[in-house]
Amino acid sequence: MLSLALTGVEVGFPGLDTPALSIPRLSVAAGGQLAIAGPSGSGKSTLVNVITGLERPGAGQVLWNGTDIARLPESARDRWRGANVGLVMQDFHLFPGLSALENTLLPARLARVADRALAARAAGLLAEVGLHRPAQKVETMSRGEMQRVAVARALLRRPGVIVADEPTASLDPANGAAIGALLVGLARRSGATLIVVSHDPALIALLPRRLTLAGGVVHEDVTEPA
Amino acid sequence: MLRFILADLGRMKAGALVIVALVALAAALGVAVTLQERALRLGSARAADKFELVIGAPGSETQLVLSTVFLQPAALPLVGGDVLAALHDDPRVAWAAPVGFGDFHHGTPVIGTTARLISETAPGMAQGRMFATEGEAVAGALTGLAPGDEITPTHGELGHDHENVRYRITGRLAPTNTPWDRAIMVPIQSVWRVHGMAAGHDHAEDEAHGSLDPDTEGPRQSADHDNPESAAQHLVEGDGHGDLDSAEQEHVEDEAHGSFHPDAPLPEEEGWHGAPGVPAILVKPATIADAYKLRQDYRAQEDTMAVFPAEVLTGLYATLGDARQVLAAVAAAAQALVAVALLLVTLTHVGQRRRQIGALRALGAPRGAIFAMVWGELFALAAAGIALGLGAGVLAARLLSAAIAQRQGFELPVTLTAGDLAGLALLLALAALLSALPAWLAYRQPAVASLRG
Repeated sequence: MLSLALTGVEVGFPGLDTPALSIPRLSVAAGGQLAIAGPSGSGKSTLVNVITGLERPGAGQVLWNGTDIARLPESARDRWRGANVGLVMQDFHLFPGLSALENTLLPARLARVADRALAARAAGLLAEVGLHRPAQKVETMSRGEMQRVAVARALLRRPGVIVADEPTASLDPANGAAIGALLVGLARRSGATLIVVSHDPALIALLPRRLTLAGGVVHEDVTEPA
Repeated sequence: MLRFILADLGRMKAGALVIVALVALAAALGVAVTLQERALRLGSARAADKFELVIGAPGSETQLVLSTVFLQPAALPLVGGDVLAALHDDPRVAWAAPVGFGDFHHGTPVIGTTARLISETAPGMAQGRMFATEGEAVAGALTGLAPGDEITPTHGELGHDHENVRYRITGRLAPTNTPWDRAIMVPIQSVWRVHGMAAGHDHAEDEAHGSLDPDTEGPRQSADHDNPESAAQHLVEGDGHGDLDSAEQEHVEDEAHGSFHPDAPLPEEEGWHGAPGVPAILVKPATIADAYKLRQDYRAQEDTMAVFPAEVLTGLYATLGDARQVLAAVAAAAQALVAVALLLVTLTHVGQRRRQIGALRALGAPRGAIFAMVWGELFALAAAGIALGLGAGVLAARLLSAAIAQRQGFELPVTLTAGDLAGLALLLALAALLSALPAWLAYRQPAVASLRG
């Protein structure tokens, strides 16, 4: 339910003449679904970092529903991200020793927003992604199951945008397809904006709009007719 | 949060255990040094409790105290019997009793003294009764002797037997928690007699300042020593007054053992007139003011020395305190070393967890939570170590005390004071502060570090 508008975003690295990322204008409608593709070093990760507020651009605005997160101080950006962004990462970042349910709730607990209702929601989400043993320790799970936990975790706080960074890259094709379908379906049902960075053609094919980066600039921006 | 910390610790159990053990050892070292030193001080002060004023011949004050209170074997000069008599008649004195040492029974000191001293210093008899004749003896609580046992004293720990001398144990004392628990008490009169210097009738009597031990008169008599090292062991030494020649000396010794009268009654209240010399006299002054006056008087005299054992011990404690400070410094250095080592380990650990910490932040955990987590984890380890160290230190001190009590016979009470706990609180505060450093680093870790390695 968040719309994104980037204007004049530039991210440079010290010692490099050309910026790592340069996006004069880019907007994503609320509830839109966007795939970002491109070769390694094309600026995909930098773009994800900028739109999630993990990294502050050297110049430009990153407006989410009108809030310029590039201007928020670090703690405020962390808070904003926790409340608004559901993040799914390539290598899951689950914490061994904790159960699926505990992992799903961990960020919310650390942010002191987890209550009984949220715990119930976590259990419901785990069931929704196809996991029926919420007490199972994550280190005993398969990679596909782990990524399902990560998806449930991303959705827990009803984020306005889900950002997935190579969510299928470390999975086998069958699990990759399942996770891709889950992400797209859950985002659509919740109305969240979905931004997926991926190399995976099968996953990219599920999304209506494709952005291709090359050398830090937008090379191609194609929207398939619905 | 707590679950997360526990899960994290569970994941690196071995490392966590090593850290706790390290902290515990360092803390225990400090605790044990402090406690043991205090126990030694308290224990010896209690052992000296009943010994208000000790009078002896001029010499080492420290040795006089160590020999009378702790029964440490040493050669002491003798103080004349007239001093004992004078003290007995002195209105400022509640009671005064001679303490004569030098004889042993299988390593257990045999102390010549009076029934008065024993009843004044011990809480009572555990078994049997006080000695009533010269051939009877009272055993200390830890000697392992019981009424009915018989002993033959040897002169010095490795010395020759006093043949024909046989004491019968008539009673066993209740424990006093002092080294006297490991001693056998016999009537002083019999000690004099055994050593050929009994008052009144024997021909050693003419020498009031005479030695309890004519053997050790000097090297010129070495001819009659078949084992010269035993001479070195002789604990009660002639003071040079002895002008008996060596032949007469032999004679006295033989005669003396012959004159041991096990059934002779003890004329304790006779007033000690004409009594032979003794190495030490324990005096119970009537009042505190009298104690100081007595000490002053007997200090002023040329041939006597008067000490408050408590005062002498205070001097010793000062030395002990210095030693403790050295040990405490060593313990503190060990603690600092451990702290630095742990800091190194934890900094590395935080470095290795960059990605994990970054991921938590990327997922929306506030930086404060990250700080609290890292800090909590480290502090929990340090606190566990310190708590364990406290226990281990107390236990070590207790065991050491028990071992010393076993050997020396005096109790070393291990006590914790508020000061110790304050010291530990300080250590905890230090641990809290040190834990904050890696936590701060984690706090400063950019969230972006998580995403791609």
